[in-house]
Amino acid sequence: MQLLSGDARRAVFAPLHDGALRSEAVVRRVGSAIALGLLGDGEQLPTETELATLLNVSTMTLREALAELRKLGLVDTRRGRGGGSFVRARDDVLGALADTRLADLGTTDLRELGDVHAAVAGAAARLAAARASRTEIARLRDIVDRLARAESVPGQRRAEGRYYIELAACAQSVRLTMQEMDLHLELGQLPWPPAHAPELLGVIVASHRAVVDAIAARDAATARALTEGHIETRTLWSIELRLRAVAAGGPVARREVS
Amino acid sequence: MTGGRGLPPVPAAVTDVVERVFATVGEVHQAALRPQARTGLRHGGAVLGDDVREVLLRPDQLAVGLGLVVAPRPERRLPLRLEWWQVDPDGGHLHALEPDLRPTSLGYYDYTAAEWFDVPRRTGRRHVVGPYVDVHGTGRYLLTLTEPVLIDGEFAGVVGADVPVRRFETHLLAELGADRTQFLLVNDEDRVVLSTSARRLVGGLLPPGQPGSGPAAAVPGVPWRFLPVDDGTLLDG
Repeated sequence: MQLLSGDARRAVFAPLHDGALRSEAVVRRVGSAIALGLLGDGEQLPTETELATLLNVSTMTLREALAELRKLGLVDTRRGRGGGSFVRARDDVLGALADTRLADLGTTDLRELGDVHAAVAGAAARLAAARASRTEIARLRDIVDRLARAESVPGQRRAEGRYYIELAACAQSVRLTMQEMDLHLELGQLPWPPAHAPELLGVIVASHRAVVDAIAARDAATARALTEGHIETRTLWSIELRLRAVAAGGPVARREVS
Repeated sequence: MTGGRGLPPVPAAVTDVVERVFATVGEVHQAALRPQARTGLRHGGAVLGDDVREVLLRPDQLAVGLGLVVAPRPERRLPLRLEWWQVDPDGGHLHALEPDLRPTSLGYYDYTAAEWFDVPRRTGRRHVVGPYVDVHGTGRYLLTLTEPVLIDGEFAGVVGADVPVRRFETHLLAELGADRTQFLLVNDEDRVVLSTSARRLVGGLLPPGQPGSGPAAAVPGVPWRFLPVDDGTLLDG
């Protein structure tokens, strides 16, 4: 693992502790890291032993996960000299993976995730209004501009993740920044709403711009309220996508019938 | 204790700590000017010898990271290079910082735009950045001290060191001992670097139009000023 640094590396390869189906959790974590661009196309993964230690799973579980990632086409394993496991960033596979993940979650899970994200990002926005320097505010604006210009779904996701993580860094808080990084690895496993309705990107961009304006005006209450409000809206989008998938006989409905 | 002669006690103590860290940066600087280092700089190879990172392991060391960031030279097809080492928080273990240098990633860090690189490049002078959350580098809350490296009069990159904000604070508070004088140390963006008043938090910005209880004093050699305050106490009910 050459290129990943700091919090990003810590978050991607933090130990997993979400229950029984650990190989699935590994698949999701790696998928989300690819979707967010934390693992780049062609990048080599650490060795099996290293990965298993980092993620705190058995080598057996890790092998299952790698086999699944290979089957999905997200990882290529080459044998021999210069061999190893390499990332393949495939947008179609990531999209399908996100739909499956959404179908696995209940609407209450989505609400919970949104609640925590609103708490973390809302607090970060409030503190950023008091603590962000002019240089940092300019950087936030630049990131939102990049989000507005990004044409591909992965490009939009990356700019969006960057926005929330920089917002937490503007709060001068290592802990909020780490929380935001962790949350993005979870949020990165879910569908990106503008991929389903492109005009939603405009809504997202306008909301982030209004937050940055409030931070620049040192208006902590507005920065917080706008951030929380926007994340609530996002939660409702995800919930609607989830409900629509059932109505359309998506992965959930099929799985329950079979 | 050499840097702070003729200054009041607090700015003198601050200057001493800062000069101590810049002495470490100076060692990295010297290593970057060795003959074999110049070859590395010219052709995009390794610059600093293995001995440089060992500086981090000295018992009285304040820095947890140090190294060299080589300026990219697109015209000679030399990309941006980092030779930066960190010591683990629990001590002892050294490892190279491997930052994310791909512009497409969520974790991408554009070093040439970072203040600790850009200011020494533009001004030709040393600089101190922070406190800041080093999101894309180390994930720590840091002060980063850097100075430019010139080869034949040409800017070749920066050398520097990272000092955790906590370590800087612990060290200075210990140095000042029983002195209960209330003061703030504020950087060039009005951010609090060190505070002995619980009402003003490290990392916070000084509200505009709130001067201290006495005249501010520049701290020599760093873009900081010392500001006496009179905030009283919160604990007397």
